Amino acid sequence: MDSEDDMHDANDAESVDDDFYSGETAMDSDDGDAADYEFIDNDSDDSNDLVSHRSQQNYTILNETDIQLRQEDDITKIASILSISNVAAAILLRHYNWSVSKVNDEWFADEEKVRRVVGLLEEPRPLPNAKELTCGICFEVYPNDSMRSAACGHPFCVTCWQGYISTSINDGPGCLTLRCPDPSCGAAVGKDMVVSLASHDDREKYRRYFLRSFVEDNRKVIVLSFNFLIIDLRFFFISPLIQNGVLLLVVDYAVDFIVGGGTFDVTCRCSYSFCWNCTEEAHRPVDCDTVSKWIMKNSAESENMNWILANSKPCPKCKRPIEKNQGCMHITCTPPCKFEFCWLCLGAWSDHGERTGGFYACNRYEAAKQEGVYDDTEKRREMAKNSLERYTHYYERWATNQSSRQKALADLQQMQSVHLEKLSDKQCQPESQLKFITEAWLQIVECRRVLKWTYAYGYYLPEHEHAKRQFFEYLQGEAESGLERLHQCAEKELQGYLNVEGPSKDFNEFRMKLAGLTSVTRNYFENLVRALENGLSDVDAHGGTSRTGGSRSLGAGSSKGRTSRSKGTASRSSGSRNIDDSGHWSCEYCTFANAKSATVCQMCQQRR
Amino acid sequence: MTGSSASSRKVLSKIATNRLQKELVEWQVNPPSGFLHKVTDNLQRWVIEVYGAQGTIYAGEKYQLQVDFPEHYPMEAPQVIFLHPAPLHPHIYSNGHICLDILYDSWSPAMTVSSICISILSMLSSSTVKERPEDNDRYVKNCRNGRSPKETRWWFHDDKV
Ligand SMILES: [Zn+2]
Ligand SMILES: [Zn+2]
Ligand SMILES: [Zn+2]
Ligand SMILES: [Zn+2]
Ligand SMILES: [Zn+2]
Ligand SMILES: [Zn+2]
Ligand SMILES: [Zn+2]
Repeated sequence: MDSEDDMHDANDAESVDDDFYSGETAMDSDDGDAADYEFIDNDSDDSNDLVSHRSQQNYTILNETDIQLRQEDDITKIASILSISNVAAAILLRHYNWSVSKVNDEWFADEEKVRRVVGLLEEPRPLPNAKELTCGICFEVYPNDSMRSAACGHPFCVTCWQGYISTSINDGPGCLTLRCPDPSCGAAVGKDMVVSLASHDDREKYRRYFLRSFVEDNRKVIVLSFNFLIIDLRFFFISPLIQNGVLLLVVDYAVDFIVGGGTFDVTCRCSYSFCWNCTEEAHRPVDCDTVSKWIMKNSAESENMNWILANSKPCPKCKRPIEKNQGCMHITCTPPCKFEFCWLCLGAWSDHGERTGGFYACNRYEAAKQEGVYDDTEKRREMAKNSLERYTHYYERWATNQSSRQKALADLQQMQSVHLEKLSDKQCQPESQLKFITEAWLQIVECRRVLKWTYAYGYYLPEHEHAKRQFFEYLQGEAESGLERLHQCAEKELQGYLNVEGPSKDFNEFRMKLAGLTSVTRNYFENLVRALENGLSDVDAHGGTSRTGGSRSLGAGSSKGRTSRSKGTASRSSGSRNIDDSGHWSCEYCTFANAKSATVCQMCQQRR
Repeated sequence: MTGSSASSRKVLSKIATNRLQKELVEWQVNPPSGFLHKVTDNLQRWVIEVYGAQGTIYAGEKYQLQVDFPEHYPMEAPQVIFLHPAPLHPHIYSNGHICLDILYDSWSPAMTVSSICISILSMLSSSTVKERPEDNDRYVKNCRNGRSPKETRWWFHDDKV
């Protein structure tokens, strides 16, 4: 099997009978081995690719200790090269923004000048040789041994030093370049002296400034759109990003990023993910430009979109307001109505998911439009409304996945802090055996993120690339429905095992199912991300794969019967290039079903 | 300096009081030339007369400096302004605020009122033109609510003048 086509065809042939996402079917017929269940990519090149893609991390997350070790390494290096104390080496390094090579170059070019600039005396001078000395700050007279000085020998009493150091530390990171208080002097006050004289709290602050300076001064500092000072290139603070508007003085984790190796997505140890390049939250599979366009668009339309963010919609059947308080899109109205519907399209849930073989059309704008969800009476008005309506469609789905993701994150935390313990107790399972649940939730969080961005992707996918759009929407629909299945299993089905008296007989089956769904979904989404990042290059520009949905699924499985079930796009994708039953003609270029009277395609403007 | 912000000032710490008393004694024994401190019983606010040095464009003129000391003097710099009318000088605003680094960022607790005075006099003496800073009007307008010059983020003019 050398080409992707072969692979997919082969997959289709091998697995005609089980739908990619029909976890239950697979469970029922298989003996429940998760490995069997997991889709294994047949194309060896491809899977190697995937593995290397994942293992190749072009960044390292550094915690405080890691940073400190690197800092100490550099200090020791300079101290031994220049034969100076560690304290002096630290002063030099800080002055030259922690660049070992710069310190080296400057020092050996003109040691005397460097010493003068940073305040390092060649020959330390002792305190004046007198029994009693006058402090240069409080002007009190003290015995010689209760006075301190920097390397310059200018005497100040301990109390004044303490006040001097404390004031400076509380003024900010300028304390790292502290000099002798004597205005004419300029001798550096090293870390050792500061540490020996500062109070416990001040010492801690100083230590953090010292560490932070290593991370910050080391690199180019850039100002981000949201007014944070962030460190570019190699190090990056996470905490400032997640603390709403407040730049923390705390080194949380830093990221050592190697530019030029693969993707820009970075996941910190605190589980926050962001894009190294544009510093927005992680946004694969869409690129930074699309993200910034989308964010601009959102802020431009924010007023129009406010209503969408309201987490309440009327039940399509009984019209009572329904609050969405769960992560998945499957909503059940409260009794007595109990109508089950889809939050995204407000359609009956029975039209979704398993019962229709996984077909999921509520991600498709065209489908929603044609089914009259956006009731359009007058063509003209529709055209004017169209752009906002179209945006609304994508934005709503983007935002809903976003809030689903937030919810999933909260659920994950709740799971880890409370439910796992309870479940372990109820089901007599060691917590180590329950990792599959955490993994499922982590997967859900990640998938919601990807899915969310696919809506920005969809919004910017050019209208005239019909084949691509069609394929894209098919993939996205599959992704929605697959994730929905996983989310529902992790959210709702799990409840059944939490609220029981004793161990459930079928807990193992549940484990198999959830683990299986997690792995299938992971696979699917990884392939989805790659397909979108490749710009759906599999699809020819003009209808080359008009039945793409049928012949190219991502990952595994078949697309059994999907063609016949696709309702919204049926008229466009029937494959007929000529006039169909209703008198429409199908555009040769984009397959759009045009009215009989039209001589030019409404979609792509090509002549009939 | 308005009365309200002066009254909101915290009383001097013991260290500050001791230090100021020592400075006062030293001043009386050895006053910087060109200055006259009218001693009152208010240790926290000094009013000092400044006499323009001979041979400079301020020769024969007399101005008044007002020095207010913070609770943690000398760890914190005093607030120093010219009382009205302030000398015409490229680094002195019409509201009396002085653009001089040692009064702000470059303050050191080893400096004294006396050393401040000497710096100010030397700043006056080196000026060759009697004019306000370029941004005088804008700056003074921004300070209208009695803002202290210590709250200003100073961008120091070149230190040649
Ligand atoms: Zn010194
Ligand atoms: Zn002292
Ligand atoms: Zn983090
Ligand atoms: Zn980006
Ligand atoms: Zn209802
Ligand atoms: Zn739906
Ligand atoms: Zn067309």
